Amino acid sequence: MTPSLRRCSVLETAAFDFSFRTAADIVAAVGAGRASARSVAEATFARIRACDPLLNSFTALTEQRAFARAQALDDARAAGKPAPPLAGVPFAAKNLFDIAGLPTLAGSKINRDAPPANRDATLIGRLEAAGAVLVGALNMGEYAYDFTGENLHDGPSRNPHDLSRMAGGSSSGSAAAVAGGLVPLSLGSDTNGSIRVPSSLCGLFGLKPTYGRLSRAGTFPFAASFDHVGPLTRSSRDLALAYDIMQGYDPDDPVCADRAAEPVTPLLDRGTKGLRIAVAAGYFSCRSREAVYAIDRVAAALGANRDIDIPQAERARAAAYIITASEGASLHLDRLRTRARDFDPAVRDRLIAGAMMPASLVVKAQKFRRWYRGEVLKLFAAVDAILAPATPCTAPLLGQQTFALGDAALPVRANLGLYTQPISFVGLPVVTVPIPLAPLPIGVQVITAPWREDVALRIAHALEMQGVAATLRPKEF
Amino acid sequence: MTRKSKVGKSVTRKSKTGRRTGPLARPLRSKKPDAMETLLAASAQALALPVDPAWRAGVKHNLQLILRYAALVEEFALPDDTEPAPVFRA
Repeated sequence: MTPSLRRCSVLETAAFDFSFRTAADIVAAVGAGRASARSVAEATFARIRACDPLLNSFTALTEQRAFARAQALDDARAAGKPAPPLAGVPFAAKNLFDIAGLPTLAGSKINRDAPPANRDATLIGRLEAAGAVLVGALNMGEYAYDFTGENLHDGPSRNPHDLSRMAGGSSSGSAAAVAGGLVPLSLGSDTNGSIRVPSSLCGLFGLKPTYGRLSRAGTFPFAASFDHVGPLTRSSRDLALAYDIMQGYDPDDPVCADRAAEPVTPLLDRGTKGLRIAVAAGYFSCRSREAVYAIDRVAAALGANRDIDIPQAERARAAAYIITASEGASLHLDRLRTRARDFDPAVRDRLIAGAMMPASLVVKAQKFRRWYRGEVLKLFAAVDAILAPATPCTAPLLGQQTFALGDAALPVRANLGLYTQPISFVGLPVVTVPIPLAPLPIGVQVITAPWREDVALRIAHALEMQGVAATLRPKEF
Repeated sequence: MTRKSKVGKSVTRKSKTGRRTGPLARPLRSKKPDAMETLLAASAQALALPVDPAWRAGVKHNLQLILRYAALVEEFALPDDTEPAPVFRA
C-alpha cells in the first residue's frame, strides 16, 4: 500500500532547520555555538519520527545513546575544548554494522535471534570519536544480496523522490534516510554495487573506496572477497570529510591495508585541470536515455571527449556473479540447512543454487579476475578516471520485476548492478555523482585507479561546483 | 573470432552478433531439464540441503543462470599458470 503523501516539514519552524543541511554546515553551527549538539539530535529524532513512516529507512533508533553523546560534546565545548571535526553530525548505519547493544540484523529475520553486539563496528567508533552522533540502524536488503531495497521482513525502503519507487539496494535505508533529509550522512556496504545503486536511484553522492581501504571490522559479511564499506551523503565535501575520518589501518579487518590515511578534503578544490578522463564504451554503452544524458552531461562538463574500452567487462560481471553466489552460499550454508524457511525466498533460492556450483568454476572465475585486473590496471596508464553509468535506469517501481534495456527486458533484482559489478570485481574506487534529472535522478560512476579516491572526489567536487552534480530536495520532503 | 592462449590452444569466443559460436560444455551446461534436476537433487542430498518441492523451480532457475554465466567465463582461455585473484600469504 502506498502511504499518503504529505510534506515532512516538522522542523521548518525550528530556529535552525537541520534537515537538508550538510554535515559541514552542522559542524560549523555547532562549532560556532549557533546550535548545540543536543538540539541537532533532538531535531533529527523529531524529523525521523515525522518522515520515516513514509520512507521506512530506519529499523532501530539509538536515542538514549545519541543524547548522551551529544551532551558530552556540549559539555566539552562549554569547558572550552575545541570542537572535533564532525561535532554534532547525526549519522546512521546500515543494519549490518555492529551497534553495541543491538543484534546485527543484516536485513534478515534469522539474525534477530542473535545476541546483541558487544561493541561498535570500527567505522562507527571512528565517526563518533570525531564527534558524530549515531542515531540509529538502517533498513537493507536481506543479507545484502539485493539491488532493489525491498525487504520481506521489514518492508521496502521508499525512494524520497517518488514513494512508489525503489530506493535501490542493498543499502536502501542508507540512501532513503539521507535523500529524505533525515540525516546528512550514512554508512553502507557495497559488494557488487550496494552503495552505488541506491546512490544513483536516490540522487546521492556515494563512495565505494578501494578494496581494503576502509575497515569492515564489526560488519556482517556477504561475499568476503568483494565486500566494501563506505559513506553516502548529499555533498561531495561531506563525503570527503567522513571518508578522511574513517581511513586508517585496522588489525581487526584482515583485508584492511596497512597504509597511512591519505586525507582528501584539503585537495578537493584542486579542480580537474590536467586530469585525463574518458567515458567507458562497449559493454557500458547499452543504456537508457536518462543514463546517456547523464553521461553526456558529465563528460561535456569535464571535457572528456575520448572513449575507452574496459576489456571483457561482460565476462567480468559474469565472474563476479559466480564468485558472489559461491561465497554467499558458503557463508550461509548452515543457515540454509537449518532455517531455510526464514530467508526471503528470492535470496534463499539464489544462495542454494550458489551452494551447488562446482568449485572448479569458482576457481576459474578467480583466475579470470586476476587476468582482468591486469588489463584494467593498464588502462590507468593512459587515463586518470573513467566515467560509466551507475545504473542502467532510474528508480523502478516497487515490485517491478523487469526493466527495458535496448531490446531486452531484464530482471530488476539481478541487473540493477549491471554496470557496477565489473568495477567492484577488481576493487577500484568509485564515487557515484548524482545527476538531477526530472522526475528522477540517476548516478554516474567516477572510477579511478586503486588508492586514488582523491582523484574521484576531486572530480565529484568539481562537478558539484559546476552545478552538474547535485542532490535535490525531494518535493514531498 | 579466436584467441590464442599461452598454451597454444585456440578457443572460441562470442561472435559480433553476440551468439556463442563455440560448443557449450557438457554436461553441466546442458539445457536438458533432467540434467539440471539431477544436479539439483544430487547436490541437495550431498550437501544435506533441504529443498522444498515448491522451491525447486526458483533454485533451478538460479542454477541455470549461474551456469550460463560460468560458461561465459569458462570459454575464455587463460594460461595454465594464471594465479587466482586472492593470493594466500603465510
